[in-house]
Amino acid sequence: MKKRTLLNVLLAATLSALWSGELRAQMPNDAIYMPKGTVCIGTMYTHSSWNQYWENTLKRENLNIGTHTTQSIMVMPAIGITDRLNVILSLPYVWTKTSAGNLMGQKGIQDLGAWLKVKAVDVKGFSINGLAGLSIPLGNYVPDFLPMSIGLQCRVVSGRILANYTHPKTGIYVTAHGTYMWRSNINIDRDAYQADDRVYNTNEVKVPNAYDMGARIGILKQKWQTEIWAERNSCVNGDNIRRNDMPFPTNNMQATMVGWYGKFQPKALGVNARVGYVTNGLNMGQSTSYMVGVLYQFGVKKS
Amino acid sequence: MKKFSNILKYSGLAFAMIVGMAACDKTLEEPQRVGYSPANVDDKAGTWKTYLLTSAEEINVPAPTSVTSPEYVAELAALKGLSNTLTKEQQEAVVYWGAGAVYRWNEIARELAARYNIPPASNADGKYPVPDAANPLADPKFPFANPPYTARALAYLSVAQYDALVSAWNYKYKYKRAAPSKVDATLRVALPVSALPSYPSEDAVVAAASVTILKAMFPGEVPYLEAKMKEHLEARQWAGMNVQSDLTAGTALGGAVAAKVMGRARTDGMSAANNQALTAGMIEAAKSRGIKETWLSQEVPIRPPMLPNYGAVQTWNFDKATLAQIRPAIPYVVGSAEWQKDFDELSKINKNQTREQARIANYWADGAGSYTPPGHWHRAAANAAHEARFSEVRMARTLALLGTAEMDAGIACWEAKFYYYTPRPQQFGLKTSVGLPNFPSYTSGHSTFSAAAATVLGYIFPEQAEKFKAQADEASVSRIYGLIHYRVDCEMGLKHGNIIGNYAIARGKADGSGL
Repeated sequence: MKKRTLLNVLLAATLSALWSGELRAQMPNDAIYMPKGTVCIGTMYTHSSWNQYWENTLKRENLNIGTHTTQSIMVMPAIGITDRLNVILSLPYVWTKTSAGNLMGQKGIQDLGAWLKVKAVDVKGFSINGLAGLSIPLGNYVPDFLPMSIGLQCRVVSGRILANYTHPKTGIYVTAHGTYMWRSNINIDRDAYQADDRVYNTNEVKVPNAYDMGARIGILKQKWQTEIWAERNSCVNGDNIRRNDMPFPTNNMQATMVGWYGKFQPKALGVNARVGYVTNGLNMGQSTSYMVGVLYQFGVKKS
Repeated sequence: MKKFSNILKYSGLAFAMIVGMAACDKTLEEPQRVGYSPANVDDKAGTWKTYLLTSAEEINVPAPTSVTSPEYVAELAALKGLSNTLTKEQQEAVVYWGAGAVYRWNEIARELAARYNIPPASNADGKYPVPDAANPLADPKFPFANPPYTARALAYLSVAQYDALVSAWNYKYKYKRAAPSKVDATLRVALPVSALPSYPSEDAVVAAASVTILKAMFPGEVPYLEAKMKEHLEARQWAGMNVQSDLTAGTALGGAVAAKVMGRARTDGMSAANNQALTAGMIEAAKSRGIKETWLSQEVPIRPPMLPNYGAVQTWNFDKATLAQIRPAIPYVVGSAEWQKDFDELSKINKNQTREQARIANYWADGAGSYTPPGHWHRAAANAAHEARFSEVRMARTLALLGTAEMDAGIACWEAKFYYYTPRPQQFGLKTSVGLPNFPSYTSGHSTFSAAAATVLGYIFPEQAEKFKAQADEASVSRIYGLIHYRVDCEMGLKHGNIIGNYAIARGKADGSGL
């Protein structure tokens, strides 16, 4: 019975998708909105790897890591509650590995993310958008076996302001955003650890808050989109990786990234892709990443 | 749909606010330790058997001035001035040091061990520079406070504290100078005052003894240690606990006893513990004993093994003939059916480590950046002794029994490791979730350290013996779950550690404490 219901929903969704007029797969870092009553599900595969990292400010290789690779598959539905209010959910499955050394790869379901996206101002192609984000760890993964851990186990509340101007005729746009992330303390399996040059006798670890800033320039058309982007992600404080030690969740991780993003969605079904490269960082790997995704948009029947 | 969107909007916002507030509170709660009046002042401790002092009076402490002398009256007046009103910082220092002198200096030593527990990085030539005691803050820092190093540092620290306190107790009850607040009831004191005579000050004895040992063990930390000692001595005056002459006499005694203890440390064989020239002969000897496949470093570049000759360092509670006698039997040889069975167990975990296995492996990992397994057990002992409201001298005895057992465990385990020179499971393709130690596999250091510690602590705290034993067993099996030891390494390590712990108990039972 249950199976059949699911099948019906899928069928209905497929049909409505075929008739859906507007195709607008969207992300938490753009000013695109799903029209009311439509859903776009993105399923994305990401591959990110580095063979050099910043140990504090020292850029180094590690022959006992070789190349470190993080891969993930993420399901990301964007839901049009109204034309100006969207919800974006995300849930990744992540796995890590190294090409050298003895460290065991980690794998598992990571954190459930949710963004509420509101178009607050919308005047002549110019918009200001407010986003509130929430991320909650779903998997019981180990957060302090870095760099192999798949996440940090933080609960995160994010506030983001995103401004966009899209030239109505050409579809050329510029976007800028800034985000502040409040990150919760986490619990680790150990009841003593070292951070800030001292030993803490507790299993609770302070993870620094973080911010990001991004700028994008691109073209958005009915069926396709292309953009180049630059982002800066940074903790607001934290300690540094000690000489020849491993990273730890208290580290002040920072990265500057540049990249390209594109999307092609002629009908309900579409694809998107992104490449990114870290140009500069602190307490992080200098990663090169690419992402490819499949997008599928459909309408939801009102009941 | 509108209604639905509103519900979603508001519940989402409310949820975000709740989580947001939880996310904002970053205060960490750590267990706080405060001072106490000891359950027993151990007034006969001046007769307890010392480790290295030939007698409790080997170091002379001159008789103090009488409490009616003008000198003492002046000291008391000065003390009143210092203890009358305290700043917030002074109050905090009083509370911090009031938790216990031995307790705090053991904690400081563990903290230093953690800060110095990082293996040197390889240089551009693919070599690992050896830390240099003469240049301790250069890269790599000296020391690399690995488990054998930390076991030894903590052993000398506790032995120096213990011998110095036994001597101090002797003089306390010989001279019987009352605490300042018992001489003058109007003196304001910030800590519990026991019946213990105050000359020489047990806090000054412990501070000076500890700083003397720790300066030698962590030569890059001299300014830090001197600042800590200064604060410790000042805190005794801010608390109204000791006049200056109590502190001066205690400082002299503690420093002199520790200097004698350092004499043993300098000649205990540690300077030859990293003699890498011996390893070729060790490998040949292991092969002649039937070990077909010997240990190889799994690091790139190949890292020389950690302290291959630590097994030759002087033991505390048994002699070298005993060390050879109690050495664990030869382990399963690679390729044998028994070895295969142990390896298969690890292969299974390698494929499908459970979260609980990972948790246990992580809890006991005590790897780089930690105060190592000996530090872990010192913490357990210090906390148990604090909760039992042990006097300073009894706490020092506890930690000396534990500390010497841990150093003996390290020596005996390392001797076995390099006697058999057996390969780690990673030599056969397995990974690890805790990091791979760079020295031979058999026996497990964690198992040996933990069983020795649990045995000693079970003797001192009989009502907690089962808990400590269960913890040691878990520490041992954690190395299987972390995939870096075969079961036989762990089981034989536990047995070995238990025997080693019993030698410390034999000493404890014969030290005249009647405990």
